[in-house]
Amino acid sequence: MIFKRNATPVKISLLFFLSLACTLPHGVANADSNPVLIPEGPRKILRDYCSDCHSQSNQEADINLDVEEISWTDRERTELWEKVLFNNQHGLMPPQDHDQPSPEERKVLSAWLDSQLTTHIKVGGTPPRRLNQAEYLKTLRELLYMHDYELPPGFPGDSEANGFDNSGEGLVMSASHMASYAQVASEVADLLYPQPKQSVPSKIQKGGVDDLVLSFSASAVKDGKLRLASKARDIMRSCTWPQQHQAKMSGVYRITVEGSVFKPRDGDLPMTLEIRARQVSASERSVISNFRFLKDLDFSSQSGQSQTFEAELYEGETLSFRWKNAEFDHNDLKATVKLMTEWFNEDRRWLAAWQQAVFPRGLKKRTPIQTLRGLNGWNVISEALNDPNLDMSEATMDSAETKELLRILSTVGGGTHNLGDALCHYYFNNGPSLQLHGYTIEGPFRLVDSDIDKKYKQIAKQIAGTEKGELSNEAYARNMLERFLPRAFRRPVDDTTTEAFLSIATEHWRQGHSFNEGMHLLMRNILISPQFLYRSLRPGKLDDHDLAARLSYFFTQGPPDRQLNDLAHAGKLTETEELQRQAMRLMPTSRDHPLVQNFTGQWLDTRGLRSIMPDPEFKFGEREISVAKAEVELFFTDMIKGNRPLRDFVDPDFMWTTPYFAEKIYQIKNMKGRRDKLQRITIPRGSRHGGLLGMSAIMMTTANGVDTQPVLRGVWVMENILGMTTPEPPDDVPALTPDIRGTTTPREMLMAHTNETACASCHQHIDPLGFVLENFDPVGQWRESWPGTDRKINASVVLPDGSPINDVIDLKKWLVRNEVVFSKNLAEKLMVYGTGRKLNYAERKEIDSIVRHNHANDAGFRELILALIASDTFRTK
Amino acid sequence: MIPFIHSTLDRRKFLCGASGCVALPTLDIFAEDRSSDTQTSESPDRPKNFVAIGTYLGWHQKAFYPSQTGTDYEMPATLKPISEYRGDFTVFSGLDHRAGNGHNNWSNFLCGSQPGTYSFDQLLADHIGQHSRFASLQLTTGSGENRTGKGAMNFSKENIYLPMMRRPSVLYRQMFITNEDRIRTEYLLKSGRSSLDHVVKEAKRLNASLPVNDREKLDEYFHSVRSLESRMARQLTTLDAPVTDPGYQLPENDPITPNLQMEASVIMYDLIAIALDCGLTRVATLFLDGLGQVFTIDGRALSSGYHGLSHHGNDPAMIADLILLDTAHVECFAHFLQTLKQKKGANGKSLLDETIVLLGTGMGDASRHSNRDLPTLVAGGGFQHRGHVATANRPDTLLGDLYITIAQSLGLEIDAFSNAKRNMNEVIS
Repeated sequence: MIFKRNATPVKISLLFFLSLACTLPHGVANADSNPVLIPEGPRKILRDYCSDCHSQSNQEADINLDVEEISWTDRERTELWEKVLFNNQHGLMPPQDHDQPSPEERKVLSAWLDSQLTTHIKVGGTPPRRLNQAEYLKTLRELLYMHDYELPPGFPGDSEANGFDNSGEGLVMSASHMASYAQVASEVADLLYPQPKQSVPSKIQKGGVDDLVLSFSASAVKDGKLRLASKARDIMRSCTWPQQHQAKMSGVYRITVEGSVFKPRDGDLPMTLEIRARQVSASERSVISNFRFLKDLDFSSQSGQSQTFEAELYEGETLSFRWKNAEFDHNDLKATVKLMTEWFNEDRRWLAAWQQAVFPRGLKKRTPIQTLRGLNGWNVISEALNDPNLDMSEATMDSAETKELLRILSTVGGGTHNLGDALCHYYFNNGPSLQLHGYTIEGPFRLVDSDIDKKYKQIAKQIAGTEKGELSNEAYARNMLERFLPRAFRRPVDDTTTEAFLSIATEHWRQGHSFNEGMHLLMRNILISPQFLYRSLRPGKLDDHDLAARLSYFFTQGPPDRQLNDLAHAGKLTETEELQRQAMRLMPTSRDHPLVQNFTGQWLDTRGLRSIMPDPEFKFGEREISVAKAEVELFFTDMIKGNRPLRDFVDPDFMWTTPYFAEKIYQIKNMKGRRDKLQRITIPRGSRHGGLLGMSAIMMTTANGVDTQPVLRGVWVMENILGMTTPEPPDDVPALTPDIRGTTTPREMLMAHTNETACASCHQHIDPLGFVLENFDPVGQWRESWPGTDRKINASVVLPDGSPINDVIDLKKWLVRNEVVFSKNLAEKLMVYGTGRKLNYAERKEIDSIVRHNHANDAGFRELILALIASDTFRTK
Repeated sequence: MIPFIHSTLDRRKFLCGASGCVALPTLDIFAEDRSSDTQTSESPDRPKNFVAIGTYLGWHQKAFYPSQTGTDYEMPATLKPISEYRGDFTVFSGLDHRAGNGHNNWSNFLCGSQPGTYSFDQLLADHIGQHSRFASLQLTTGSGENRTGKGAMNFSKENIYLPMMRRPSVLYRQMFITNEDRIRTEYLLKSGRSSLDHVVKEAKRLNASLPVNDREKLDEYFHSVRSLESRMARQLTTLDAPVTDPGYQLPENDPITPNLQMEASVIMYDLIAIALDCGLTRVATLFLDGLGQVFTIDGRALSSGYHGLSHHGNDPAMIADLILLDTAHVECFAHFLQTLKQKKGANGKSLLDETIVLLGTGMGDASRHSNRDLPTLVAGGGFQHRGHVATANRPDTLLGDLYITIAQSLGLEIDAFSNAKRNMNEVIS
C-alpha cells in the first residue's frame, strides 16, 4: 500500500498520542439511568480547568465540557469523554500555559470517568458484516460444492476500515455489489438448474478420407484410403479424427464407418478399429485414455464394409479412430526391439537397409536420427532396400552396427519416435494396415447429459439431499430448502423463513414456469438474501452458530466446517474448552493458511509489495519479492506453531530466508542448501536482522522502491508496532513545501522540515522511529552511507521518552523492554480482524488484562490467540 | 503503559479526526420521481453528454497553465498535444473546492469540499442518465486493483463509492449484447425483479431485531436492492432498443498492467466515444491512476516511477520527466478530442460540441500533497471557449462554480454544488 502514507512530511495532529484513545467505540449500552448528572467533585474540576475554553459560549474545537450531565447513549459524547479521561490521565490537557489541576484533582476526575465508562460501555457492537470478496468466494465454493468456481471479471472489491478489509464498517453494500451478487447467483443457478436444451434438428454429416486429420505419421492416404499403422497411446502417433465435425448438442448419434483391411498377414484378422469420443479442443499431446471409449469395430474385408452403431457424443466432441490391435506400438520400447530383432533376423536385406540409413559411413558417422524421422527416414530406407549394391557386410545379428541400431531403437526419442515414425510408412506402403474409407455421423436423435451436466446434476442432488424422482415440485423444493438454507445462512432456519422462500418457487410454478425455472429463481433469491451475504446479525453474546461462524471466518475465511456445525448444534462450542480446542485445530500450520496470508498481509502491509516495483538498480524483482513476502509469512507461522514469546516478533533467535537472499540482503554467507530454498536458520539475538524490523519486506513496504522515507517508516512503526494511529491533518493547516534543495542527506532534508515549527512538534515523535532505520535501503539491504554520497549514515536518535538509541539493535532492545505495548497492539489488531469492529473502552481494557496476564505468565503467541478467542470481546457481536 | 508521552498540546486539534457517521437514506427515497430530463424533443440536437477525466497524481501546474491569460496564449508544455484544438477548450487556473489536503481527499475532484460524498458525475447521472442503458460509466486505467473506499472517484447519493471498470473487454461485452441473449435476459430480469420484494421483506424482518446503529447497514442493503430493481427496469426498456455492435477491434488481452496505462487510456477513450455516440450513456468518467509504474517514453525509461516523479521535491530533472508523463496523458486525450470531433450527428454537429469534457484532478500539487489550485480544463460542450481563465485574482471563485455552470448547461436546474453557491456563466457559456 504505497499510498497509504505520503512520502513528503505527514502532518500529524500535535496530539497524535491521543489517538490511542481515538478508537471510536461502538457498543454503548442502553443504560437506564441516562443522562447521568456529573457529581460536584468532577464537575468542579471541569468548571475550574476546562470551561474557560470549552464552554457553551467558547467551544474551542467544538467541545463543550461545561455541562451538568452526560448522555452515555450518545456515541459521540461517549467518545469525547473517553478522550477527556485519556488527556487527564496523561496530563495532556489543559495546555501547559494554563492552570493545571492538582494530582489529586486529576485522580478524582479520572476515577469518576473510568467508573462511568466501565459502567456504560459494554463489550460488543460489530455492525452487520457483509462477506468480503475472498470470504464470499470461499463461502460459495463450499456451499455449492463448486471448488473451482471463479468470480466474474469486474466483481467489485472491498474497502478497508480499521486497517482490514473484513471490517463491518468498511464493507459497504453498493448497487454494483448487489448487481454482481445477482449476476453470480444467476450464473450458478444456470449451472444447477439449466434451461432445457433446445433440440436441434438431426443432421447428417459425411466425411471422406480428406476430412480426416493427418497427424505426424499416424496415418497416410494411399489409393484413396486412409491407412493406420500404430496402436500407440500417444494419439498424435496413432489416431485420426474428423477435421470439421463437432457435436452441437450432447446426444445420441448414429455413426457409420466404412473401412477395410490392407494386405493382412496370417493372424492379423480381424483388425479392430477403436472409436473414442474426443473433445475437439483436446491437446494433440493427449493420450488415448483421455478420451471416452465408444466402440470397437472389427474389419476383415479387403474390399470394404460399412458398420453402424449408436453412441452418445457430448457437446464439443467428435470421434477418434485407432487401430487397436496393430503390430507396432510407438510407446512399447521392448516390443519394438523384439519386433525389429525378429524382423532383422528373418530379412538381412531389411537389416542392411536400416544400417545403410543410420550408419551410411560406418558406426562413427551416424546420421542424425532427427533427419530420419517419418517419411524422410522411410525414403532413405526404401532407397537402400532398392539399391542392388546394398552393403550387406554388417548385416549380421551380432555385428556392432546391428547392436547399436537396436540400442537406438530402444530409446524413446531416437528409436520409437523418429525411426518409429519412419517404420509407419513401411506399413502404409506394404501393409498390413487398417484402412478408413469414410464416416457418417447422424444426429442427435435424443439429447443426453454430458459429463459436466452430470456433475452439476450430482451437485444439485447433493444440495437438495435427494433426486427429483417422483417428488412433487414443492416437496423437492422443501427438501432442498430444509437442507440448504441452514447451510447458506450458517444457522438453523425457522419454518416461517423456509415457507417464505418456498413460496417464491411455488408462485413461479403457479404462473406456469418449469420446475428448473422455479428452482433457478429460488437459488437466485437465496444467494442475494441478507442472511447469506451478512454475518453479525444478532445482537449480544454470540450463540453457538454465530460463534462457529466467527471462529471459522477468523481462521479460514470460509464458513464453519462439519465439525464446527455439529458442535454448534450440540451446543458445545460456547464451552470455552471446546472453543479453544477447535481454535487449536484451525490454527495455522503453514504459510498458505488464510489467517497468515490475510492478517500479515494487512497488518504489515505486505499485500502491496508486488505493486512497489523497486528501482532496477537494486536488482530486486518478482523472485526477490516472493522471498521477502514468504519470510514474513513463515516467520509468523513459526511464531504460532512454536508458541513463541511475543518479544520474538522483535528480537528472535531465528529467521526464515533462502541462502541466496540471506547473502544478497542480510550479508549472511554461511547458509547451506539449495540457493532458493526457504529455510529456518538460527541467529544470535540482538542482530540487526531478524524480527519484524529486520525484514526486507517491512523495509520495502515502508519505502517507495526508490528512496527510503524516514517519516513514512516512523509513522509505520508507530501504527503497526506501537499501535498508535496518526490522525489526518486538519483542513485548516496549509500544506507546506519543504524546500529541500541544497540539502545533501536525508537527515539534512529532515532537519529542513523539522525546522518548520508547525511540523516539528509532531515530527520529533515520528522521525526518530523512522530515522533509526535509515541503515536499511528501500529493499531492506544494510547500508553504511547514503546512496550517491560517501556520507556515513548516522542513525542515532533520542526517543521522546529520553531514551538514546544508536541503531536498530538499540531500538529492538527498547521494544523488548516495552514488550507489552507491542503485544497489546498485536492483540488489538487480531481482535479488530476477528470481530470486524473498532474496539471500545471496555474491549481494550479486557485485551489489556489478557495481554498482561499472558506476559506475566511468560506465555507464548499461540496462548495469547487462544486467550483472545475465549474473551468476551471475541464472543460478542 | 504508553512508552512515551509528550505533553505538547494544541487545543485546536482536540477531537480532530473524530468524524460523524454518514447518514443513510430512508426507504422513501425510492418513491422519488427521477424522470427530470429536461431536454425537449423538438430540438434537433442530441442531448448533451458529460465526460470527466481525472489523474490521481495531479498535473504539474507550471506546465499545465499558460503564462498568459485570455485566448492569445502560448501553449504550455503539457497541453502541446492538443494545440490544434485550442479553440475547443478553456484552461482554468486557481480553482479548487477548499477540501482537505492529501491523497485521502483526492475524491474532492468530483465530490467538492467533502470528499467521499455525492459526486458531480452521479448528480448529473441521476438527472440525465436515467433513460440510457447505463446511467453512467465509471472507468479506470493504470490501477493495480480496483480503487475502493476513499480512493474511489464516484460516489452515489448515499455516499457509497462505485467500482470502476478497468477491463475494456468487460465493458464492451456489456455495451453490446447479442440477440440470442435477449430473450433469456428478459426472462431473468422480469422474474428476478418480481421476486426482489421477497428479500426486502426478509431484510425488514431482520432489521426489526437489530440495534439502531446496525439498521444503517441494512439500509445500504435496501438501497442496493432498489437500485438493482431500477437497473433491471432500465435494462428491460433498453432491451427493446438494441444497438448494433460497431465491431471495434479490442486487443487480445486487456492492457491492465499499470505500465500499459497509455495504451489502455486510448481504448477507454474510444469506448467512451462509442458509448456516447450510440446513446448507451450520457455520463462517463475515466480515472487515471498513478502507482509506482515506470514509464518508457521515446525509448527512455523515466528516472522514477509515476508516484516517485510526482514527489519531485523541486528537482528539475524529475520535473522534466513528470511533464513528459503528463504530456503523454494529454496525447491520449488529444486522440479523444479528435475522435469526438470526427463523430458527427444527423444535425451536423460533432460529438465534441455535444459533450462537455472536464479534464482535471483532485490533487493540486502532489509533491506537497496540496489540494489547492486544481489544474482544470473544459473542452467541447458547445461552449464559447475562452483560452486561459485565471481566477487567482478572484480568490472567492470555487471550482464548484464551474460545475454549476456545467450542470446548468446540461439542463439541470441547480444553483448550488457542494460549497459553491453561484455559477460561472459570465465567464463561460
